[in-house]
Amino acid sequence: MTSIRMSGRGGAAPKLAPYAFVAPAVVLFLLVFALPIGYTVYLSLFRTEVKGLGLGKGSRTEVFVGLDNYWRALTDSELGAGALRVLGYGAILVPTMLGLALVFALLLDEERVRARGFSRIAIFLPYSIPVVIASLLWGFLYLPGTSPFNQLLRELSLPEVDVLSPTGIYFALANIAVWGGVGYNMMVLYTALRSIPRDLYEAARIDGCTPLQVAMRIKIPLLAPALVLTSLFSIIATLQVFAEPIALAPLTNSLSLTWTPLMKVYQDAFGRGDIYSAAATSVLIAFVMFVISFGLLRLTRSRAFGGER
Amino acid sequence: MSAVLVQDRAVTPTPRPPRVRSIVSALGALPTFVLLLGAVYCLFPVAWVLVAATKSSGELFSTSTLSLGSSLVANLGELATYRDGVFWQWMANSALYAGVGALLSAVVSGVTGYALAKYAFRGRALIFNALIAGVLVPAVVLAIPQYLLLSKVGLTDTYLSVLLPSVISPYGIYLARIYAAASVPEDVVEAARTDGASELRILTSIALPMMVPGLVTVFLFQFVSIWNNFMLPYIMLGDDKLFPVTMGLYTMLKQGNTTPALYTLVVTGALVSVLPLIALFLTLQRYWRIDLLSGAVKA
Amino acid sequence: MRLDIAKKAAALGLGLALLAGCGGGAEEATDGPVELSFWAWAPNIDKVVDKWNASHPDTKVVVSKQAQGDDLVTKLLTSAKGGNPPDLAQVEYQALPTLVSNDVLADISEGAAAAKDKFAPGIWDQVTLGGSGVYAVPQDSGPMMFYYRADLFEQYGLKVPTTWDEYAQTARDLRAKASDKFLGTFSSNDPGWFAGLVQQAGGSWWSVEGDTWKVSVDDAATKKVAQYWSGLVAEGAIDKAPMYTPEWNKALNDGTQIGWLSAVWAPGVLKGNAESTLGKWAMAPMPQWDTSAPRTGNWGGSTTAVTAGSKKQKAATEFAVWLNTDPAAVEALVTESGIYPAATSAQEAQSQPPAFFPNQPDFYTQAAKIAATSSGFTWGPNVNVTYTAYKNAMGEAISGGTDLVPALTKMQTATVDDMKANGFTVGG
Repeated sequence: MTSIRMSGRGGAAPKLAPYAFVAPAVVLFLLVFALPIGYTVYLSLFRTEVKGLGLGKGSRTEVFVGLDNYWRALTDSELGAGALRVLGYGAILVPTMLGLALVFALLLDEERVRARGFSRIAIFLPYSIPVVIASLLWGFLYLPGTSPFNQLLRELSLPEVDVLSPTGIYFALANIAVWGGVGYNMMVLYTALRSIPRDLYEAARIDGCTPLQVAMRIKIPLLAPALVLTSLFSIIATLQVFAEPIALAPLTNSLSLTWTPLMKVYQDAFGRGDIYSAAATSVLIAFVMFVISFGLLRLTRSRAFGGER
Repeated sequence: MSAVLVQDRAVTPTPRPPRVRSIVSALGALPTFVLLLGAVYCLFPVAWVLVAATKSSGELFSTSTLSLGSSLVANLGELATYRDGVFWQWMANSALYAGVGALLSAVVSGVTGYALAKYAFRGRALIFNALIAGVLVPAVVLAIPQYLLLSKVGLTDTYLSVLLPSVISPYGIYLARIYAAASVPEDVVEAARTDGASELRILTSIALPMMVPGLVTVFLFQFVSIWNNFMLPYIMLGDDKLFPVTMGLYTMLKQGNTTPALYTLVVTGALVSVLPLIALFLTLQRYWRIDLLSGAVKA
Repeated sequence: MRLDIAKKAAALGLGLALLAGCGGGAEEATDGPVELSFWAWAPNIDKVVDKWNASHPDTKVVVSKQAQGDDLVTKLLTSAKGGNPPDLAQVEYQALPTLVSNDVLADISEGAAAAKDKFAPGIWDQVTLGGSGVYAVPQDSGPMMFYYRADLFEQYGLKVPTTWDEYAQTARDLRAKASDKFLGTFSSNDPGWFAGLVQQAGGSWWSVEGDTWKVSVDDAATKKVAQYWSGLVAEGAIDKAPMYTPEWNKALNDGTQIGWLSAVWAPGVLKGNAESTLGKWAMAPMPQWDTSAPRTGNWGGSTTAVTAGSKKQKAATEFAVWLNTDPAAVEALVTESGIYPAATSAQEAQSQPPAFFPNQPDFYTQAAKIAATSSGFTWGPNVNVTYTAYKNAMGEAISGGTDLVPALTKMQTATVDDMKANGFTVGG
């Protein structure tokens, strides 16, 4: 960003102006993010202690326990197992979603394709449907008894498929996320494609490249930064997976209420009323996410952020 | 995959026999076909909502999943009168949270993004990185501390408790910064400064107007994310007159063991609640320019 | 430079926030009309409350409808921590110890103790937690019963099972006659249902000895119940899909499930979920372990509680007592909300059968007889932990096709570990 330069003529005003301009965001950020995060860290160092039966007034007190909650979170086998499950889920979700988004974006960019406007809106539409509702409708479509797919299989006398089985559930969950997210990522990639100068393709075509070759050799390499960005945001969203499994859990025996680390946080905080260990686990999760994001950005040399650091 | 390879081979400049030519024209429709397949995949569950909303509660669980019912009007009527029309209150609340929240968010993001893109000042990198790191902290994690802190100042269970946290959007600020860098030319700002315009005036009458297309995108993104947000209102609100529509539908669904879930009302409500979002998409899609993300590509 | 200030401000803000204690307390409002907030989920509860508001101009109760049960407990705990809970809340029996232990509920013995005689002793014990305080007023109860499709039972020549052995045999007979039908399902998603079955078998998960909690989620009676269902699931005599899913609703509708071990409130659920089966169901007492001493458990049922953070506890208590003991109010609860009232006089007063059971005119007379055989049960201070462990462990066992009994050990361990981690004294 060579364009950023301090103005010498503006005097004192430009010096203070940027601070004034960022002030609302910074104040809000402190209130909504920094303060609660600080409070979370504070809470993570405590736990409650009960006296006697714990049924009298004021029988619970808050005691300082240092890093105890962290130690317990780290040695909790369910948390580790949950992290592994999220990895498995992410391994299905991220490549599928971005692969489909890429294919759709490349197809939208092809001259000969018809019904472009319709497809674009249709594929994008699921993004606008709240997860609460998405899970309800996918529940209907998944449950063997109400699923139209299973109904079809039954009528064809084919063996029925239970996507809510312990293995199937990974695909069932990934499918909801793909369905909801593919359109958004498609739009990001598609608009990135539109910004590539058309004459590049023309030159390639004159050289005898097929549309597929143009896509593979010109478009995809030029899309790399946008792909990095969409991957990063998809991975972050994947690690935060929470709403879909928690909404599907009542429908099946295959999903425990601690299936992902974030579900465990939710269970600790809301189910068990233990915000202290929930806070410690949260801090750990945020830390891991930070390391992963930072690592990814380093790996890709911050291209997604335009090298503005 | 093999089909694509065939296509690859087919487009060689050598003359082709007629049979190959017909294959080529069939393959020419392949991209359209694949896209339409994607559209069907995405629309199918939405179509299910449409179908299910036409069913009475008896039909919902007794007729085939994809056959139309006969009760759409009755369902809509029941939804409209449920608890003296509280559903419309929820819709209005959602519109308020999403509309006002997204508007404020777009303005704050725009101003912040502009400052971060166009001024060099101490702490710039730190502020930007800190704001962006906000994306990394899941909403579930923040909800309880946010609730406890807001309750100290007596703001919980108010419109503000949902609006305030919705205004700040790390992603929006990130987008606005990239858009400002790409769309506000340095020499225009410089020229205005030479003419003696104040920094505030440059912001409001030059920079922000130039950023409008980008800010519309931020607005739309934020509108959808606030409209769909569940965790924040779930924690912050106790008064059901303040609920957004997602929360309201959730309470109708979560009736517990002793009372039946109001499936037909929820499904009908889901259909009605998605309509404004679809309308918003259709009317604003020309502004829906995510190409500011491709600004990152150019930078 | 600005940033330093911001940092300091943030640190200061955090400090202040931490110093400021929680609000709440027992200062009573002195004069002027009082407004009470009431979180509840019972259907049409607003209409019942309207009756109070019409006759009590000084105290206006404002209903806020919430998601049921566990969700409401969560919100109550959070709002109490934040210092601004509602004045009144609908609370299930098993959540009372949890809420009392977290200082969420007020001891309303002063205003509510006199209502004791209106309820069966077993039910009243649930709101006193066996002590001298009163933490809620009972609203409804859920004695368990067996529901079956009378028409299909006749069609398949089945007899209504009176013992658990007969139930198992009936389940097998049905499978033999119609391979796509089930007598019932074992639901890993409904710990309250399982707890009801355990109560019937004489199980006791928590008990108190002096200052010590005794936890025995895996006691002999519970093991007996788990063993029994484990066998039925393993041989495929019953279904193993969770209840309260769209699929289950469909199964009730189309006769895939021809029986349901449920509670007195089942007619309302059946009406909502399986409208097309009107008049086809019948109710009978639960199958028994020992026919010489018939018993039943409780599933569901809730109370009206006043929060410790409320500043209008006196008025709130008055309303809670009115709602659940005033004849007109209780009648409205029955007709508008469709609950089975906890107040004994109201139970006896119900002469009409539920609208969904026109074929069983003596429904409530029978129900009252069954309700009288309810077993008592002591709930612990972390029922939610046990319930979550039930969902996870039973779900895992069923989807993995393994025995259900070891899941009890997991429930026991999870419950005890959580109590110990919170500093409760837990005896063996």
